[in-house]
Amino acid sequence: MKKSQFLLLDAGPIIELFELGLWDDFIGKCDVTLCRTVACEAKWASQEDQDICIDLETYERANRIRILDVELSVVKAFYERFDLSYRTELHPGEKETLAFLHGSSEPWLLCTADAAVFKTLGVLGRSAQGISLQEALAQLGLGRNLGWKYSERFRQMYTALGQTDSIQGRGLH
Amino acid sequence: MQVGDRLRIARNAIGYTLEKVAAETEIGPSSLSEFENDKREPRFSQLSRLAELYRRSVDFFLSDDPLIEDVMLWRDAPVEEEQIKRTEAEFRQLCEQYHKLELLMGESKAVSLPQAQGSREAFSVKEASRLAENFQEQFLRGEIPSTSIRHVLEEKFHVKIFHLPIAGSAISTLSPEFGPAILLNFQSKLWRRNFDLAHEVFHLLTWNIFRDPGCQIASASEHEEKLANAFASRLLLPTDAVRDRIEDRVDDRGQISLEALDEIAREFGVSLDALLWRLPYLYNIPAESIRSYLDKAGHMRLIRPARQSDEPDRLPERYCGLAIRALREGRLSLTQFAKYMGLSYKKAEEYLADEGELTDEEVSIPIA
Repeated sequence: MKKSQFLLLDAGPIIELFELGLWDDFIGKCDVTLCRTVACEAKWASQEDQDICIDLETYERANRIRILDVELSVVKAFYERFDLSYRTELHPGEKETLAFLHGSSEPWLLCTADAAVFKTLGVLGRSAQGISLQEALAQLGLGRNLGWKYSERFRQMYTALGQTDSIQGRGLH
Repeated sequence: MQVGDRLRIARNAIGYTLEKVAAETEIGPSSLSEFENDKREPRFSQLSRLAELYRRSVDFFLSDDPLIEDVMLWRDAPVEEEQIKRTEAEFRQLCEQYHKLELLMGESKAVSLPQAQGSREAFSVKEASRLAENFQEQFLRGEIPSTSIRHVLEEKFHVKIFHLPIAGSAISTLSPEFGPAILLNFQSKLWRRNFDLAHEVFHLLTWNIFRDPGCQIASASEHEEKLANAFASRLLLPTDAVRDRIEDRVDDRGQISLEALDEIAREFGVSLDALLWRLPYLYNIPAESIRSYLDKAGHMRLIRPARQSDEPDRLPERYCGLAIRALREGRLSLTQFAKYMGLSYKKAEEYLADEGELTDEEVSIPIA
């Protein structure tokens, strides 16, 4: 029985896990799901100054992770909820993943290293569904000291910005 | 407008056939055709892949706003249509990315480029020169306009200026979406780039006079090109400053050598030919005489050392500055940043290395 059910949003945490050599351990300890666009974005990582190619579809074929496709109309409906600043900040993989999360009633956790995602969760009132990579690794017993954007403080800071926008009536139509 | 229409417009704009797109994306031609005819909706990941190939943002396909295609005005366009479309697609993508950075950082509002008044039939060389004089007096500091023009255009008017290796000299556009933009040939010499930039500024300042709204014709008439050259010549070679330099170098017989003129041209960042063509306006020298000097100037180019020509940055400094700030303030993801800057993910990460320290209050400097 795996410990957690995760949704890996950003290419950033995936690349970081490959660079740390923790990817296989990570997906062995939790159910990892990601969106197809994110899988396309996370194609390369570097280890000891060498670029390594990431082929996430190999893991999908081996049933070790799940890659999902979201309908365009679902993403479009989600996209139209936001004002220009939020629309601009989210990149395609994030739009797809957040649209999926927003339409799901399951208790997904989003692991990202991107401020725009934490802000969006904050503005949507879904702050509890965001998690930093450092926190995720700690929960799985793989704890490491990571860079700023993978930290709990980073998540808290940007989630709070989204919450503030929500209180002040910004971000959503 | 439906997604299908936008898909077709974007594919046609970059000049790809359905077969080529199918080969690049592994989406079958019949599916692509169904997407374009709104018979079937692509999955979002397929749309993302198509957007990437067409050099468009995903937002272009999600938007319901009315679609206005930009007019790209070429100088010395290549013959091959395919080459034109690819270059325009790359240029448009860079401009859209630049605009997105401006939006992210709240810097999208700038002073608009002043638009010249008049009618296209009555616009004369004299008026082009006057326009250049006014622009120089109002906005360019110092006696050597070529040293400040790019900076003023970028910083004051937020003109997006890129350099790419292209077949052709330059492109300009005044987009309703991302504003004024100029693409220069990365491989051109500095003096040529200076002249091309000034030439394109004329097109931007007179866009409303010479371009009909809604018209997609992307070439200028011979007359308009002549006016743009006159404008560029006057802008880069201001009357008083050039006269002063020439008179300083005139010998006892009241003559100046081509070598001295070449040095003055170098100082002003223009070609010797451009300076020679300015002389009829400054000293009433007949055009026939100028042509004979041009022949001699051609010979002199063979015996004079080549000018030092600094290589331009592919991306504007302001663009890079906005991207770095957007990354550090968490408004742009590292993946996007790497794409915008043309860097590998690993290289892009270096820009974030000290983020923790950079945001600490202890490195802030109290000013007030």
